[in-house]
Amino acid sequence: MNGVKGMKGMISSLHPLHPLHPLQNNMSLRSYRSFQALVLAAIGIFLLEKIWSGTLFWYINQRYLILIFATGIGFLALAQTILASRQKKDEHADHDHHHKQTYSRWNLVIIALPVILGVIIPQRPLGTAAIANKGMNTNAPLTVNGAATSLELASTDRTVLDWIRAYNYESDVTKFDGQKANVIGFVYHDSRLAKDEFLVGRFALNCCVADATAIGMIVKSEKSASFADNSWVRVAGTVSAAEIDGKKIPSITAEEIDKVSEPEQPYLYP
Amino acid sequence: MEIFSRLFDQLSTFTTIFLGVFIEAAPFLLLGTLASGFVEVFFDKDSLARIIPRNRVGGAIVGSLLGLFFPVCECGVVPLTRRLMKKGMPLSAGVTFLMAAPAFNPIVIASTAAAFGVGRVLFLRMLLTAIIAIITGLIFSMQKNPQELLLPIEMDIHQEPQIVAPLMERVRQALIIASDEFFEMGRYMIFGIVIAAGMQTLVPQTWMLSVASGPVISVLALMALAIVLSICSTVDAFIALSFVGTFTTGSILAFLVFGPMVDIKSAIMFMGVFRKRGVTYLVLLPFVLTVLATVFINLNTSW
Repeated sequence: MNGVKGMKGMISSLHPLHPLHPLQNNMSLRSYRSFQALVLAAIGIFLLEKIWSGTLFWYINQRYLILIFATGIGFLALAQTILASRQKKDEHADHDHHHKQTYSRWNLVIIALPVILGVIIPQRPLGTAAIANKGMNTNAPLTVNGAATSLELASTDRTVLDWIRAYNYESDVTKFDGQKANVIGFVYHDSRLAKDEFLVGRFALNCCVADATAIGMIVKSEKSASFADNSWVRVAGTVSAAEIDGKKIPSITAEEIDKVSEPEQPYLYP
Repeated sequence: MEIFSRLFDQLSTFTTIFLGVFIEAAPFLLLGTLASGFVEVFFDKDSLARIIPRNRVGGAIVGSLLGLFFPVCECGVVPLTRRLMKKGMPLSAGVTFLMAAPAFNPIVIASTAAAFGVGRVLFLRMLLTAIIAIITGLIFSMQKNPQELLLPIEMDIHQEPQIVAPLMERVRQALIIASDEFFEMGRYMIFGIVIAAGMQTLVPQTWMLSVASGPVISVLALMALAIVLSICSTVDAFIALSFVGTFTTGSILAFLVFGPMVDIKSAIMFMGVFRKRGVTYLVLLPFVLTVLATVFINLNTSW
C-alpha cells in the first residue's frame, strides 16, 4: 500500500490540468492495474473463445491459428503478471511514472473496444453486403504453385477458387467446356447478369477479412430468382466459358442446385 | 425496414472487418511492446551507443539494417522505435529504423520470396525500402532542434535498471512495461483500425482496381489501397501477388514499399511519438519518394 500512498502524495501536488490529477477522470494506480488486468484477460479469453467456437476463421486465414492461440495465452499471462504486481508493495512507481498519461478510464474502454463490439454486435462472416464495396474480382489471387494444383484436381473436386485460378492460368479456356463442376458458395445476383443467372461466390482471403475479395462463377438456371442473396447452395452442372466486362469466367449450366448450410470455413485461402 | 436491414448489414460488415484487422494486428503489436519492454530492462545506453555510429549517414544506414535483428511489423515498430530513441538512439537512425524495419526484416523477406520468388520484385522492394528510409531519416536529422518534431519523451526519474536485480524480477518488469505500452499504443492502433474498417465499409474499392495500367495513376491507386487496407507488412506480399498481370510492376512495388511505412493505423500511431509536423513529414516524404521511384520504374522499364 505504501506505493499507492506515495503516488497519491505525488498526485495531489500536480497542476489541476495535469492528466494524473484526481480532477482529470483518472483513477488510482491500484484500481487502474486491476482493470488493466481485467481487460488483458478479457482480450485473451476473447481470442481463445474464437478458436474454441471455430469462429476465428470468420476473421483471419487459418494459418494464423497457432499465432492467435499463443497470443491469447500471452494476454492471460500478462493479466496474471499485472494482477500479481498490484499486490507487491514495492510497485515500480518509477516505471509507471512515464506512462501516467495512460491511467484513464477512457483508455481502458478503448482497448476493450474489440471485445465490447464482439460481444454486443451479432457476429457473422462477410456476406454479399460486403461485395458492394469490395467488388467482385475476376482476377483471382494466384500463388506460385496454386494454378498447377488446381488443374490437377478432378473437375468435380475443384472449388470456386480452383476454377477461377484455372481460368486465369490457361490461355485457351474452351478446353474446360463440357467438364462437370460441383461447387459450394453463396448466391449473389450481380446486376451485370441476365435474369436466369446468378453468381455462386466465395470470399478468398490471404490474411484477414480486410483483404477478402469476392470471386464467383456464373450459374445458369431458370430457378435463379428463387434463391435469395447470401444463402448457400451447392451447384452441380456443366461448365462453359462466359464473359463479364470482357473477362472470361466459368459458367455452370445447372443440373442440380441444393440449399446447404454455411460451411464451417466460409472463406477460401489461395 | 429495408433501411434498417441495410444499416445492420453495414454494421455487421464493419464489425467483421474491424475484428479481422484487430485479431491479425494484436499479436504483432504485442510482440513489439514485448521487445520494447525487454530492451528497456536488458539493454543499457552504452551498448546501444556502441552499435549505432554517431554520424548521421552511418546512423541512418545502421538504422535501416536494424530490422534484420528486430523483426517487427508496422504496429510493433512504433513502440520499439520510441524506446530505442529514449535509450539514446539518434533521430536519423530512429526514423530510418521506423520506416525500414517493417519491410526490411527476415520475416517479410521470406514472405516476399514465397510470394514472388527470389527475383527483382524482392530485390527492388528491399532496395527501395532502404533508400527511401535512409533519405527520410537524413532529412529528419537535418532538423536543428529535434524536439520540434518529437513529442517529449518523459525522462524516467529512476536510474538505469539495477543490474543486480534477479532475472525473474527483470522479466516481470519487462512484462509490466510491455502491458502498459500495449495500452498506450493500442489506443492509437484501435482508433486507426476503426477508421480503416469504416472506409472499407463505406468507400467502394472497385475504382481503385479499375485503373491498373496508367504509369502514374496505377501507382497512386495501389498506394491508396495500401493506406486503406492497413494490412500487416508480414503478409502484404501475398496480397500484392493478386495484382500481378493487371497492375504495372511499379505500382506493385509502390504497394510493397509504401504500405509498410505508412497506412492508416501506423500513421495514427506515429501521433503517439511525433508532433504534428513530424507526423506530416513521416507521411509525405515516403509518399513523394515512393511515387518518384516507382513511376520512374514504370516509365523506364518494360517489366
